[in-house]
Amino acid sequence: MPNVKLVNVRKTFAKGRVVAVDQVNLHVHDKEYFALVGPSGCGKTTTLRMIAGLVEPDEGQIFIGDRLVSELPPEDRDIGYVFQQYALFPNMDVWDNVTYGPTVKAWEDRKRERIGREMLQMVRLYERADAVPRELSGGMMQRVALSRALAAGAELLLLDEPLGALDAKIRTELRYEIRKLVKDLDLTAIHVTHDQSEAMAVSDRIAVMKKGRILQVGTPHELYMKPQGIFVANFIGESNFLEGRIVRKEGKAGVIVRLRGDFDVKSRSNGRLKAGAKVVLAIRPEAFELVQGKEKLENSLVGVIEKVRFEGTDIRYEIRLVNDEKVIVVRPSLGGEWLEEDNNVTIGFSPEKSHMFPYPEKGLRAELELE
Amino acid sequence: MRLSGRKLIATIFVLAVLASLLILVLLPTFYLISFTITRWNEVYTDVFANPLIGDENWHQILRYLSFSLRLSLIVVVIDLAFGIPLAYFLARKQFWGKSLLEDVVTLSLVIPTSGFGVATLLTWTGVSGLGALIGRGVIEASYVVPIVNVPFLMLFVHVALTFPYIVRTLQGKLEDLEPVFEQASRTLGASALTTFRKIIFPLSIPALFSGGVLAFARSLGETGATMIVASIHTTAPMAIVRWVSEFKLATASFLGLLLIIAATVAILIVDILLQRGGRIKAPRFSLMPKIRGKLLKVEKAASGKPRHIKDIVGLGAIMLIVILPIFVVVASVGAYWSVDPDTGRPQGSVLYQLFGPPNYFATLMDSTLISVITAAISTYIAACVAIPSVYFIKRYRVGRIFRYILRIPLIVPSSALGLSVLLLWGPSGFNLVSPGIWLIILTHVVFSVPVVMEPTIAAYEGSGIPTYEGVARTLGASPYDAIETVSLPMLKRGILAGVILSFTRSLGETGATFLVMGSDVTVPPLVVNMAESLATSAALFSSAYLIALSLVLLLLFRMVTRR
Ligand SMILES: Nc1ncnc2c1ncn2[C@@H]1O[C@H](COP(=O)(O)OP(=O)(O)O)[C@@H](O)[C@H]1O
Ligand SMILES: [Mg+2]
Repeated sequence: MPNVKLVNVRKTFAKGRVVAVDQVNLHVHDKEYFALVGPSGCGKTTTLRMIAGLVEPDEGQIFIGDRLVSELPPEDRDIGYVFQQYALFPNMDVWDNVTYGPTVKAWEDRKRERIGREMLQMVRLYERADAVPRELSGGMMQRVALSRALAAGAELLLLDEPLGALDAKIRTELRYEIRKLVKDLDLTAIHVTHDQSEAMAVSDRIAVMKKGRILQVGTPHELYMKPQGIFVANFIGESNFLEGRIVRKEGKAGVIVRLRGDFDVKSRSNGRLKAGAKVVLAIRPEAFELVQGKEKLENSLVGVIEKVRFEGTDIRYEIRLVNDEKVIVVRPSLGGEWLEEDNNVTIGFSPEKSHMFPYPEKGLRAELELE
Repeated sequence: MRLSGRKLIATIFVLAVLASLLILVLLPTFYLISFTITRWNEVYTDVFANPLIGDENWHQILRYLSFSLRLSLIVVVIDLAFGIPLAYFLARKQFWGKSLLEDVVTLSLVIPTSGFGVATLLTWTGVSGLGALIGRGVIEASYVVPIVNVPFLMLFVHVALTFPYIVRTLQGKLEDLEPVFEQASRTLGASALTTFRKIIFPLSIPALFSGGVLAFARSLGETGATMIVASIHTTAPMAIVRWVSEFKLATASFLGLLLIIAATVAILIVDILLQRGGRIKAPRFSLMPKIRGKLLKVEKAASGKPRHIKDIVGLGAIMLIVILPIFVVVASVGAYWSVDPDTGRPQGSVLYQLFGPPNYFATLMDSTLISVITAAISTYIAACVAIPSVYFIKRYRVGRIFRYILRIPLIVPSSALGLSVLLLWGPSGFNLVSPGIWLIILTHVVFSVPVVMEPTIAAYEGSGIPTYEGVARTLGASPYDAIETVSLPMLKRGILAGVILSFTRSLGETGATFLVMGSDVTVPPLVVNMAESLATSAALFSSAYLIALSLVLLLLFRMVTRR
């Protein structure tokens, strides 16, 4: 039953000058594929290493399957850990690497042979059992590292940027393979990555971290549809941010927001903010409607196309509004037609697709900073 | 026109560097070999068919050589036994006083050995050392450790002077070795000790071998401290010194040749082992399952709580073999200051021997002057040869061979080296230089060049200089500008470190200096002479003085190598 619980965990480095992880509370359920995502340096690795026992927390408790593990050395925690650079032992061949766990746990020879064979067959590398690590490609090393971690019999798999060192194409292929393995074997997995699309693609739930703290935990869908802050709105997917002030309530769940240049738009209210409050509206590039010329749309704003990029599946427009704000709009490229630069356009969005946040104390730019 | 002029200058420059390398460093190293071959008849008669004593000299050579080899091997084994945990400790732990501990390890490398010999002798056999606790010396100077059958004091001194080679090479290797392998092993269920056996140890075997060879060679050639603690025993390098002073040059050179061969063979064996180790997988031997299980259990148990014990053992050993003698020698200078505490006679006191009728103070000052002059000049010459050589070695393919050969002067026993220089330049060779300051300098240059070169090469390799020089070139710098503005500043620390090490080594050198110094006595041989003529207090004072000098140099070294 390897669910994992972190209670008020904190870790500092350099005599307290660097706070790597701060007040982290987390509950990963049994058999869940959980992702920990955030910009680099936000404390993901440190969190994972504390769970593994490779780093000792300054404060707080860590439970694995209801067992308080704070005092246990890593070898007694029953975990599998996949390192970013694989860390295959260079003095051993693939076979010895994969059977290392069973060997040092003194499992009997027959069982060790069987597990080694099964694990290598599972990642389609049984034929390469005699190879030494440096003869393998990155993707192969990754698969060996994975099967080595699994061969030790752990039900909790910790993955630190497991795909970070691979080429883009292999990276996307392997992430589904890892998820399938975890699900087939009924494991619990905690997957650390700075790549939000990877996190969205593989996990059941995601925690977004920033500067050592957890900002929001939820399913990929929840994080995308209901980000609880400007940072999450920007980090998971992409968002345009429009600054404004609340003018008045409108209907049951709406407010009118006055943007720069005295444009009034309607947005969903978030309940707490009163008239006069300074706010930020977050709207995803793919949430806009876009038409040529002057048209009447819901929450329509007019502007000029400054740049167009064809990006394969999508077409990406940079639009300068008449109030001088810049907005990114993304449209699917299915039709094969797009608007040219210097065209006058109208864009609009439905109030449900905008997320309203109070204007951050330190300013918008500071709130969006990654480090 | 201008370009080809430059090319010409460059060629002349390279040739000049090569010539000085050959003449100053390599020729003396190998001259002994050709000497023994060209004068084989003489050597043969002296060693194997002496009209008076037959092959008695050969028997003596065998005796001394086998004694020295046995001693060195045992020393290396002991070095490994406590150097490995110490290196691991230094590489992986952060703790208060760590840099101090590292300084102590370095101190062992730079300490003038004869002074250290006096300190150790006093600590174990004198009443003012450990003996103060029981009122007499703890052991006899001639005491032989049973089973391994080597003299206790020699073993002690040699371990103290050679363990840093293991500690430093292994520590460097471990610091380079990503901790991620250990961590991976731990997460897979291996205890700390199992991880050490299965991962760290196999990965650091190359470092252990190369450190081991250096330690072995240093022990094989050690003369200064050995002569002081030798009592009735004789090592091979000591025999060379003695035979040369008896003008038995042929016998001495034959023994010197054998020593050079032993050291070179050691290097070769290790190199071959290491190269094969890279290509061929170690044979997979498996223990019986039962034993394997037991071993894992024992390792697991031992990895638990009392893990600080082995750290403390390592630290304790360092205290005992390095710090304690230094402390004792300084304290003893105080104890012997105005009277000899053993006999109560003022003639045995430091004051009397230094400033009284024996007037050793004046001798000591003369020797200091000679030591400093020879160390400074030989280091200067060495730097002038070594720095351009680094470029040559890193730029040209043949350079690799030179680098390889230049390791030999570092491991050749210094008394063999001294003999070689004496035979080459001295009265019985080219007769260009007679024993004295200049011959000392010629001798010290031989090992100073590689000593300056090693840290410089390390700095070169560690700083990615070719890349930065490339960058400078793309920004419009000429090759010469690039060297001057980019490479030399980046190499500065490495060069300085090498220069200080070379100066220190030259200042403390005993074995070779003995053979080439004539009447220009440097301080370390002076200490030996004092000890042998039973001027104990003067020897004490001079030892403390030498050690103090090396501490100052160590401080300098530390300032240079740390940011
Ligand atoms: N061993 C360490 N010593 C000092 N600082 C560290 C150490 N490990 C991590 N840090 C610091 O802690 C912060 C979080 O690091 P990390 O957990 O590696 O971030 P992430 O994995 O999210 O990129 C960073 O600022 C990093 O510099
Ligand atoms: Mg990381």
